[in-house]
Amino acid sequence: MVTATADIREPFRWTGMGYAVPALLLLAFFFVLPVLALLLRSITEPELGLQNYAELFATSTYARVLFNTFLVAGVVTLFSLLLGFPVAWLLAIMPQRWARIVFAVILLSMWTNLLARTYAWMVLLQRTGVINKMLMATGLVSEPLPLVNNLTGVTIGMVYIMLPFIILPLHATLRAIDPAILNAAALCGAGRWQIFRRVLVPLSAPGAAAGALMVFVMSLGYFVTPSLLGGTANMMLAGMIAQLIQSLLNWGLGGAAAFILLTVTLAIYALQLRYFSGAAGTAGGR
Amino acid sequence: MTDSFLTISGFRKTFGSIVAVEDVSLNIPKGEFLTFLGPSGSGKSTTLYAVAGFDDPSAGDISIDGRSILATPPHKRNIGMVFQRYTLFPHLPVGENIAFPLRVRGHSAADIAKTVKAMLSLVRLEGFEDRLPAQLSGGQQQRVALARALAYDPPVLLMDEPLSALDKKLREEIQVEIRRIHQETGVTILYVTHDQEEALRLSDRIAVFNHGRIEQVGSGEDLYARPATRFVAGFIGDSNFLKVREVERRGSAASAILPDGTRIENIPAHAGNGHAATPELMVRPQSLKFVQGSGAGLAVKVKDVTFLGDTSSVLLETGWGQEIWLRGAGSAVKTNALSGPLHVEWNPADSHLFC
Repeated sequence: MVTATADIREPFRWTGMGYAVPALLLLAFFFVLPVLALLLRSITEPELGLQNYAELFATSTYARVLFNTFLVAGVVTLFSLLLGFPVAWLLAIMPQRWARIVFAVILLSMWTNLLARTYAWMVLLQRTGVINKMLMATGLVSEPLPLVNNLTGVTIGMVYIMLPFIILPLHATLRAIDPAILNAAALCGAGRWQIFRRVLVPLSAPGAAAGALMVFVMSLGYFVTPSLLGGTANMMLAGMIAQLIQSLLNWGLGGAAAFILLTVTLAIYALQLRYFSGAAGTAGGR
Repeated sequence: MTDSFLTISGFRKTFGSIVAVEDVSLNIPKGEFLTFLGPSGSGKSTTLYAVAGFDDPSAGDISIDGRSILATPPHKRNIGMVFQRYTLFPHLPVGENIAFPLRVRGHSAADIAKTVKAMLSLVRLEGFEDRLPAQLSGGQQQRVALARALAYDPPVLLMDEPLSALDKKLREEIQVEIRRIHQETGVTILYVTHDQEEALRLSDRIAVFNHGRIEQVGSGEDLYARPATRFVAGFIGDSNFLKVREVERRGSAASAILPDGTRIENIPAHAGNGHAATPELMVRPQSLKFVQGSGAGLAVKVKDVTFLGDTSSVLLETGWGQEIWLRGAGSAVKTNALSGPLHVEWNPADSHLFC
C-alpha cells in the first residue's frame, strides 16, 4: 500500500504502447487494410462511382436479400428477448446451486460447435424429421410443416443460437435489482403485471438493450445458420457477399454489400455507446 | 381501552422447524403509534411482514377494522410501508416515485399532481420532485419513501427499522419528523426497531419482543417503571441485577435477603425471570443513593467514578464481590468523599424482584 502524497513517483506508469504493437499490427494488416481495400474496390470496380451501391438497392433480388437480412435479424432479436427474459428472471431468483446448473447448460450450448448444432436442427426440422413426425402422430397437422429451407428454419436455428447472448446481460441487470424494491412496489398497490411493466422492464432495459443490440448485429452478419437452414431462395447478406465474391467474382458489388453491413453495424454500435453504455452499471443500484 | 382497529390474534410463524414467532396477540387502536422493540431474531420483523402480506401466518389471524386481511394479497391490502433498505424506484424521479401508487390505482393527472405536491410538503422536500433517488442523501430517500407510503392515504403504515442506515444526528432529526407526520396525518403506525431510545422517543406504546413472544406491552414509562419481566427490565434503561439468597413472598410483594445478609422489605415481585434459575433483584443505577453512617443499607466499596457532565457514574462492589452501578447528579457524587467503606440504599418500591 502506498499513501497518497504529493511527491510520490510512480515506479511504473502503465502508458507504454510497446507490448500492444504486435496485436495492433496484426489487426491493421489483416483487418483494417483489407476492409479499406474492399471499400475501395466497391467504389472503383468496374469504374469510379457509386454504381455498385445503386445496383444493390435497385435490383430487386439484392434488395430482397437486404430486406430478408433485417427482417430475420429483427425477428430473431424479438423472439430471443421474449424467450430470454423469463429465463434470465428465473436465473436471478432461483437458488444459486440450481442457477449454476442452468448456467452450465446455457454455456455448454454456446460452446458446442456451431455446425454440429445447425446440422442437428436440419435433422430435427426436415419433412421427415422428429418434430414433423411427432406433429403428425399427434394429429395436430396432416401434412409435414415446411420448417426448413425457409426463413422459419433460419429464425428457429438463430434464436436458439442467440438466446445466451440475451440471457447473460439481462440476467446481470435483473440480479442487480433489490427484491425489496419489488416488495415496495407490491405494497404500493402494483400487481404482477404493473410491477413487470413499471419496475422490472425499465430497470432491466440497459441489459435488454445491450443483449438485443448484440444479437441484432450478430444476426445481420450471420453466415452458417442462414446458409444451411435457409436454402438458396432465402439468402441473407453474408451468404450473398460470399456468393458475389467467390462464385461471381464481383468484388465491386460484394464490397459494396460488405460495406453496407459494416456501416449498419457501426451505426448500431454508436447508438449503444450514446444511449446505453454506463447505464447498465447504475440500473437497480443505489 | 379503545376499540381495536388493527388486531393480531394468536399469530404464529414457523420456517421449517424454526419457530420465528411463538404466539403474538395485539389490539391496536386507530391512530396509535405502536413500536415492536426487541433484539434481532425476536420475531418483530416477521410479525410486521405478516401484516404486510409477504409472509402467511402458520396460525392466527390479522384483521383491520374487524375484517381479516389474510386472504388479501399485499398489493390489495392498501397498507403503506417504509423499509430498512432504500427502496425508491431508481429509474423514477422523486415526484414519480410518490406518484407511483396513485398511477397504478389509475388516479387522474390533476389528482396525482396535487397529492405529490402535498406529500412533498408533508416531508419537507418541496422542489425535489425532479431529482433521481441516487442524487438524494439517505435521510432524504427515506423521507421520500415515507411520502410514497402515505400518498394513497393508507389506514396503516408499517416501518421496518427505516432509520437504521442513518447516522445518529440525522436519525434524531427524522424521528422528530416522523412524530410530527404521525400527529398531522393520524395514521396508525407499526414501527419496528431494536433501538430502545428510538422506541421511547416515538411511540405511544411499545411491545417488547423476545424469543418470538411479546414480553410486555405498555407506554415507555410503564415499561421503565413497572417492568413485568426480567428481560424488559434489562432491555429498557440501565439496570443492576443483584443476586438474592432468599425470598419470602407475601402476595405481590416480597422480602429479599441478599448474599451478605442485608434484608430488603416490600419489593414488588414478578414471576418473569425468564430462563434464569435464581431470583434477582433489579434496581436502577439512579435509584441508588449513598447514605451517611454505617449500619443502614448495603455495604459497598467504590471501584471507579466516571464523570459524564450532568451525571456521574460510580462503579461499586458489594460485599459478595458483585459489581453494580450508581448514577447521580454530577455535583451530588463528590469524588473526594468516596473513600473507605460506604453504604447505599434505595426505595424498595423502585426495585423489582424477579423470581
